[in-house]
Amino acid sequence: MVKVKVNDIEVDADPKDNCILAARKAGVEIPHYCWHESLSVVASCRMCLVEVGETKPDGTVAMGPKLVPGCQTPIKEGTVIRTDSAKVKTSQQMTLELLLLNHPLDCSICDQAGECYLQDYTYKFGKAQSRLDEPKIQRMDKYHIGEQIALFTDRCVMCTRCVRFTREISGTSELQVVARGSHEEIDVFPDEPCNNKLAGNVVDLCPVGALCSKDFLYKKRVWWLKHAESVCTGCSTGCSIHVDQAENKVYRLRPRENAQAQGHFMCDEGRFGFKYIHDERRLSSPRYSGAVTGSKGSYSNARGKPEDLSFADPWPEALKQARKRIADEIKSDANGFVAVFSPFMTVEEAYLLASFLKGLDRRVRLVLGPVPVVGNDDRYPKGSKGEPPAAGKEKFTIRAEKCPNRVGVEAVLRSFQGEVSRLESLLRQPDARAWYFVGGYPQGWVTDAIASAVGKPSLLIVQDIFPSPLSDRADFVFASASFAERDGTYVNHAGLAQATHAAIRPPAETRADGRLLMELAERTGLFNAMALRKEIGNAIPELSVLAAGDLGEQGVRLARYAQQPATAAT
Amino acid sequence: MWVWLKESWPILWPTLAAIGVILAVVPLLGLYMTFIERKLAAYVQDRIGPNRVGPFGLLQAVADGIKIFLKEQVIPDHVYTTLYFLAPAMSLMTAMFALVVMPFGPVPTDYEGGFRFVVQPGNDIGILFMMAISSLSAYGIIVGGWASNNKYSIYGAIRSCAQFISYEIPLGLSIIGVIAITGSLNIEKIVEAQSGSILDWNVCWQPLALLIFFTAALAETNRLPFDLPECEQELVGGFHTEYSGIKFVLFFLAEYTHIVTVSFLTALLFFGGWHFPGLPNPTGGTTLGMILGLAVLLFKVSMVVLFIILLRWALPRFRFDQLMGLAWKGLIPMGLVHLVGVAIVLSLGLPKHLLILTAALPIAAAYYSSVKFNASMGRWNALESGVRKTSAVSYE
Amino acid sequence: MSNVKKEKTVKWGEEPKLSILDALYLPAIASGVATAIRHAVSGKATTRQYPEVEPEIPPNYRGVHRLNRDEEGRVKCVACYMCQTACPANCIEIIAAPAPKDDPHWKDRDKYPATFTIDELRCIYCGMCEEACPVDAIELTSIYDLTGLSRQEMIFDREKLLSVFDETVKSGKDPVRTHRGVLGPASETAATAKQAPPPPGRGRRG
Repeated sequence: MVKVKVNDIEVDADPKDNCILAARKAGVEIPHYCWHESLSVVASCRMCLVEVGETKPDGTVAMGPKLVPGCQTPIKEGTVIRTDSAKVKTSQQMTLELLLLNHPLDCSICDQAGECYLQDYTYKFGKAQSRLDEPKIQRMDKYHIGEQIALFTDRCVMCTRCVRFTREISGTSELQVVARGSHEEIDVFPDEPCNNKLAGNVVDLCPVGALCSKDFLYKKRVWWLKHAESVCTGCSTGCSIHVDQAENKVYRLRPRENAQAQGHFMCDEGRFGFKYIHDERRLSSPRYSGAVTGSKGSYSNARGKPEDLSFADPWPEALKQARKRIADEIKSDANGFVAVFSPFMTVEEAYLLASFLKGLDRRVRLVLGPVPVVGNDDRYPKGSKGEPPAAGKEKFTIRAEKCPNRVGVEAVLRSFQGEVSRLESLLRQPDARAWYFVGGYPQGWVTDAIASAVGKPSLLIVQDIFPSPLSDRADFVFASASFAERDGTYVNHAGLAQATHAAIRPPAETRADGRLLMELAERTGLFNAMALRKEIGNAIPELSVLAAGDLGEQGVRLARYAQQPATAAT
Repeated sequence: MWVWLKESWPILWPTLAAIGVILAVVPLLGLYMTFIERKLAAYVQDRIGPNRVGPFGLLQAVADGIKIFLKEQVIPDHVYTTLYFLAPAMSLMTAMFALVVMPFGPVPTDYEGGFRFVVQPGNDIGILFMMAISSLSAYGIIVGGWASNNKYSIYGAIRSCAQFISYEIPLGLSIIGVIAITGSLNIEKIVEAQSGSILDWNVCWQPLALLIFFTAALAETNRLPFDLPECEQELVGGFHTEYSGIKFVLFFLAEYTHIVTVSFLTALLFFGGWHFPGLPNPTGGTTLGMILGLAVLLFKVSMVVLFIILLRWALPRFRFDQLMGLAWKGLIPMGLVHLVGVAIVLSLGLPKHLLILTAALPIAAAYYSSVKFNASMGRWNALESGVRKTSAVSYE
Repeated sequence: MSNVKKEKTVKWGEEPKLSILDALYLPAIASGVATAIRHAVSGKATTRQYPEVEPEIPPNYRGVHRLNRDEEGRVKCVACYMCQTACPANCIEIIAAPAPKDDPHWKDRDKYPATFTIDELRCIYCGMCEEACPVDAIELTSIYDLTGLSRQEMIFDREKLLSVFDETVKSGKDPVRTHRGVLGPASETAATAKQAPPPPGRGRRG
């Protein structure tokens, strides 16, 4: 630790920090465009110019004669940084005026408006009027940059963050700077669009509205979006994300910086993979055979008729019936009752279901459902021939295991019955008479093998978000919620337990799994993830870190994984 | 039967004709009184009033009538249906009944045969019958309020009940003076007694009786400033909150019929009826005299009607306690004292014009109440300052 | 005691005394009736015969909205959602879309409103949408007699709002009232801002 003075505020800073980070520790903002924590330093935008000096051994302060870029200037014991002098302020104003020289000022149609650093810095550090009387240079918009990316060329400030990202993080090097001087532009080589699996990150990296996501383009102004801290369920990396929603509709996912989980970025699979939340095919209400009007699925059918004005909640009756059937089945043959846990369940939900069923009879069998694995881990940055980096040099990894919480659910299952058995092993000799299936997979997961092995049991309960061959013939179908609609805890491949928060309400008459299971188990009170975490932390030694309740924004490592290194170096 | 009909026909046909005239004219009059009321209200408020339908808006009343007759019959779920339907009919029926003994034109005291301007001429209990019947109109309102099964309606009905009972008394007291001096309950005879000069009009020698009568009559007709049973600000619509369309119209027709009745009574009892100084006594029997008498009476009546309508836009509504106070503490005592005055005049054989002295009664009453009020306010102010001082000390 | 002393500075109101005439009511009634009669016979009706005599609408009256057209007849709105953001009654709903890039007519435009609906019944006619608009696209006209037979009819869509513009421009009664350049005040240099003041007497900001 070294002592640094920023605008007369003395702080302890890491000697590896640059001036921007040291000033941030003092609560002083040094504006910057081109510098990014996880990218190399180019010091090209000149926005972070500050006065820097050093303290001589005799205590006098010698300030440097010139302004220096804060991003590029290392600090040492006694470094003095000034960001509030007239010199710095004038420099910031002139830099902004220069950056805005050919900027079209089309904030009104720019998707970045509201989270744009040109707007923010102009407001805080800039000058209201431009002195340019000449016509501005107009450049063509480039929609060919990538499948998901559009470039509004004239908004660009040439910070080259995107170029450096494709070179340093993804290693694919699609984006380039072409031409020189005031004709500089970002572009790709002809027919070589920027379509790598991390391409969406350049939109987040772009500090202005130049690179925009085609998926989100003109969909919503950002000031209407509300953010929930969540966890991506696309793979077992468990990227920390923000779920941005407005009026109960998810518009986009953004990575949330978390050095323990993934760093600053997320992959496009996760970023654009949330669309199934608003899929029309989702199960919309609970169904059970022998419902009020007699036929299976009567509730969802009846609701479609305009003359049916019954707004009665179908859940209490459905859950009551299910509870009775479960109790009956377990009484007649406890060993024949199998509950299939999904790796998409949160730790809390797995605990609720396991404790409910094991509380009825210890002989009930709990198994882990299918764990989707696609190919191998996809590691970045790629080499020049597309080969993965050497071990230990990874900057981002897309896991082959496409589920968020295998580790957490396994921990719960281990604590309830000692070992974790997989559904696959059970399918070879199906001897179960009653099934409780938990789904929640974004894609179909019921293979023919599962469907045929289940056959016609005496009780089949399916808790899922999409219809499947199983739900079509189930005695009870519980329409449950997607990841954006649930509170809970996911444990990623490296044992990092992260809290996820509901961003939107579950649609129609579906019900968040936690609440559903609370009511099925007849537990008193409302579903509260934090209270349940405390209970789980005390009940299951392996998950004892959850006893804290609040896991913070970054999450907490499980004890047995604490020694392993974090995957994402930043 | 036929024989009887044939024998009684000379007596029967004038009666039927008079009934026909009343039944035809009164609803039309009610309809056009709404128009006059709206026009007059508009003029008082510097507006123009209805002027779209027909010349000067004259057909507005017809349009309103057609519209309201064609309106949907809304029967709320919660009403007592039979009474609900009965109430407006009762209201109008009682109002029309009062017109049986009401001369609406010159009626000679000894006139036999031929058409006359009254259904039943020479009725010796004319005024009594009228008082009795018009009191019944309270039933229509009470039944309507009760049948509506609605708190606003029942409040309106209760108010009107109290108001009717209270104001019956001064109404009766004020008329007794007139009756006693005339010595007859027969309306024609009362009018005939005022046939001399203008000084013979009852208003000239017992103005107090007129004041009490007119005030009480306003209350009986539910007109402002005494329209508490239907006061909109407090009770939505009062007893007719739940009524609409034709049933609502019947209530209003009843109210306007009351106004007509009261106006006629005022003109007949206090303003000399069909007599006017300088004109021949129409009861002589000449056709011209009859027509002149009719014109005189209708002129007087229309003046009273206009005055009643004008009052509505000139005076604010009373509070309910003020309304009852006025009857019980003002009009009834004054009426009693006036009655004593009448008795003294009659028994001592004094000239009847001495009764004008009773006009001093309200002034005396006003003096008394002002003195009392000021004294009580003085006490209140003293009490107030006392409270202020003690509280100032106690909070110290 | 200090409070009692302080009390002297307070002026206590007392009810006025009641005179005999006040207690008699009759003079008050007479004066009331006199006032009523005076007005009744004065003949000074202030009623305006509305359909025949139209009211004089002040130039800054805030009536029905319209969407202005640019020189090429396209909708001027760029779907920036500023009006929707500013609207305190939440009566504006816009769905934006990228401008049709293949159409040469729309070549210079990036974004345009695919739908633009205003619920005229929910609107409180405060004019904040007009204030917020950076491209002078939405304006309130002086049309005050807005009627309709259904609620659906009173929800104006983009075409309806454009037709209001056409109508008002044709009738010549409603000039374009806002003049703030192409992209709003931020796009103007000191020199251009000086060049184009709003014409006097037309713009209400003038």
